Amino acid sequence: MSKDIESQMRAALRAVAPSEEFTQKLVANVTSRLPAPPKPRRFAAGLRPLAWWFSASLAASVVLAVGVHQHLQQQRLQQSGLEARREVLEALRVTSQKLNLAYEAVKSQSTSLTDAQSGA
Amino acid sequence: MDEQLAKARRGERAALTLLVQTHQRSVYSLALRMLGTRDLAEDLTQEVFMQMNGNLSAIDSNRHLGFWLRQVTSNRAIDQLRRRARVRLTSLDEEPQLFSAEEASDPLLQRHLRALLADLSPQARAVLLLRYQEDLDPVEIARTLDMPLNTVKSHLKRSLESMREKTANMQSMRCEGSSYE
Repeated sequence: MSKDIESQMRAALRAVAPSEEFTQKLVANVTSRLPAPPKPRRFAAGLRPLAWWFSASLAASVVLAVGVHQHLQQQRLQQSGLEARREVLEALRVTSQKLNLAYEAVKSQSTSLTDAQSGA
Repeated sequence: MDEQLAKARRGERAALTLLVQTHQRSVYSLALRMLGTRDLAEDLTQEVFMQMNGNLSAIDSNRHLGFWLRQVTSNRAIDQLRRRARVRLTSLDEEPQLFSAEEASDPLLQRHLRALLADLSPQARAVLLLRYQEDLDPVEIARTLDMPLNTVKSHLKRSLESMREKTANMQSMRCEGSSYE
């Protein structure tokens, strides 16, 4: 009896198809709202010029920075060379002054000695 | 068929059409027998497939899609029935397509069974439909309706007993009627 009622239930509850008109309407409605397909390529293509500009400006910045650094280093070297030259010249000037003073002192001494000898 | 699902997810119209055509019979029948009228069944079928359209990325196989559609249809139908105070029973004239020439010998008994089904509580109705229309076992029904397995078994047992009893009464009345003729 249990098998009997179960088989009767299966027969009574057999799936039924909706009308053809409804099926067409359903398919049309569902497919009209399809999710937009992913567009990774177009997105990447849109990014490509941006990436190119970014890379180019980055490379130009690096080159500029290296150039500026080298220029500043050269200027620093030149500056320290000039400084050294000025110091050497100053030292030579001071030495020359001292030598002149010494020469003047020696010369005045020898003159006074000669005068004393000739007076005696 | 999983390939069709992948194509539908990529937005291929033909694949989505095939998915709808494959599953619409099951969804529509479940909705019709839960809600009782063709209009309500068509509305629910449409809502379920529109929801499916927005959830395709979360569905990973055709089997999963079948489970998902049955679950959403049953739950939405149960919610609708709970909102309505009294369900209008399906008019027997409203669904002529339910009776085909190849149907079993006793169409009157089957009408009677469908009418008895419409008198059950929404949960019990969903359990019987998933069991005898969708041919799911009690474990699958419990998963679909998110219901304890013992509750599913109890709904099946009680509903079948009640139907058997009422059917036996009907048949005995018919026998008595024919003996008077």
